[in-house]
Amino acid sequence: MTLRNAFGVLVAGSLALAALPWLLSDFLLALALSCIMYAGLAVSWSMFCGATNYLSLATAAFFGLGAYVTAWGAGALPYGVSVLAGGLAAAAFAALVGAAVLHLRGAYFAVITFGLGELVRHSITYYEKAYEGTVGRIIAEAPESTTVYWTVLIVAAAAVATALVVRESRLGLALRGIGSDEERAQTLGVNARRSKILAFALSAFFAGALGAAMAVRWTYIDPPTVFNPFIGFQTVLIAMVGGAQTLLGPIVSAVAFSLLTEFLRLQFPYLFLIILGLLLILLVLYLPGGIASLFVRERWRRGNA
Amino acid sequence: MSLWFELAASGLITGGIYAVVAIGLNLQYGLMRILNISHGEFLMLGAYLTWLGYTVLQVNPLVFLPVVALVMFVLGVAVYRLCFYRIVSTAPAVEVIEARSLLVGFGLLYLVQNLAYLTWGADLRGYSFLAEPLEIAGSRFSLNRVVVFGFAVGASLLLLAVLRFTLIGKAVRAMMQSPTGAQLVGIDTKVLHPVVFGAGLALAGVAGALLSMIYEISPAMGEPYTVTALIVIVLGGLGSALGSLLGGFLLGVVETFGMHFTSPSLKMVLSYGVLIAVLLARPKGLFAR
Repeated sequence: MTLRNAFGVLVAGSLALAALPWLLSDFLLALALSCIMYAGLAVSWSMFCGATNYLSLATAAFFGLGAYVTAWGAGALPYGVSVLAGGLAAAAFAALVGAAVLHLRGAYFAVITFGLGELVRHSITYYEKAYEGTVGRIIAEAPESTTVYWTVLIVAAAAVATALVVRESRLGLALRGIGSDEERAQTLGVNARRSKILAFALSAFFAGALGAAMAVRWTYIDPPTVFNPFIGFQTVLIAMVGGAQTLLGPIVSAVAFSLLTEFLRLQFPYLFLIILGLLLILLVLYLPGGIASLFVRERWRRGNA
Repeated sequence: MSLWFELAASGLITGGIYAVVAIGLNLQYGLMRILNISHGEFLMLGAYLTWLGYTVLQVNPLVFLPVVALVMFVLGVAVYRLCFYRIVSTAPAVEVIEARSLLVGFGLLYLVQNLAYLTWGADLRGYSFLAEPLEIAGSRFSLNRVVVFGFAVGASLLLLAVLRFTLIGKAVRAMMQSPTGAQLVGIDTKVLHPVVFGAGLALAGVAGALLSMIYEISPAMGEPYTVTALIVIVLGGLGSALGSLLGGFLLGVVETFGMHFTSPSLKMVLSYGVLIAVLLARPKGLFAR
């Protein structure tokens, strides 16, 4: 599919989704919102991690940071501005952190990104308790639920569009080069450090913006809710189960996961997670390329650069 | 003076448990590149086994310890065969093994933890064992803590001795240094991998059994220990058992002193602070040569 066609599909799809608030009940709209949020998170995660094979567990940190920007700015900043500011805050944090830790690979990188997320969460908990005298924050003036829906949709669509552009750009080629063999890519003139920091910050921007956009849905937010490691893990699972090297894979699996979660978790909370665990193990063992590997031809997989 | 002694002692007791949890995880990672994120869930299983043994069969938890270790070892070999064998033998590169085993670990985490929820419910369970106080150098400790500390250090030292002085320990160390080289001189991966994985789970089970003597247990008790174990491993260096032992003590002491002099709510900030500082300054671990 050429870039132009892909954009056409994206615009058409987003417009169709934008009409949902007039068609669906509140419950179904909330379901659609959660599908779109996870699609956005999974796409933004695989933008960096899928291409480079770096395993980042920092998504929850970016998401929570964005949410707290909304919470701190509530009343002072308009909704749209705080979504943007949340994204920028997360991107700045990612650039700073990335500059410090992106020389680490493999398990070290996974552990330190997870650790950083927890560090931010516990620092915010401590700060709020010690200096503001509160545990969580109430967001009193929440925008309409349809406004939230459209905002999340715009951010997610922007994430997909950015991922499309990045894939076709020099940056995307550089990232895939780093993913196949970082030293060889550097030898061939790729500025690995700059590419990684740029892509890491870009992917954090969307996670942060989504966090900022979703924060108003909760009305009461505290660190355990918005820095919930489950959000980060879920994102990684969705992206890897869908096929992190592809674009469509994470989107499809985000929808599947969210529907499964929503319908099964309330009725059978424990059984649902047992099934999820089993499914995950079986998928990794017998379909390691993700769901996308069933449909995508070999040349589109990793290493087509 | 006695305050310092008390803090140091209680830090070392916590650290001893950290060390046992971390050593098992570290062996698995060092040998097979399996970062088993569900390690803490097997610790939880060990704790529940001990609790069942004490409340249903009325067996002394300390006597029950070898049984727990054996059961967890067998379970570990089975888990390895069912889940990780295929990953290790089919993955094209080390990074792929890491990523896939992490995902399978998440799967196991969900699976085991929620099976425990279904079986035993979310309530805290516990029993009282050796709770009478003991006086050492003018400070009071409950007897079970001292016993737990002794067993934790004992288990860690036993494992270090096995690694250093036995043939199988030598094989494990050889395999960590160079997997290909080890295979060339006739060390059999097919035997060594399941055994080491099983030993890792056995250690997790022992740690859980020891913890159940001091604290109340619940299906979610394992997760924080997995996180702490990851920190300890990075502190001590990936693949180094001695490093994990020292790193465990270090983290236990830092946490205890830090919490006393700042605030208990800063515990996690402290541990992650230590982790990140170490990773930035000495990415190969504190004790790397």
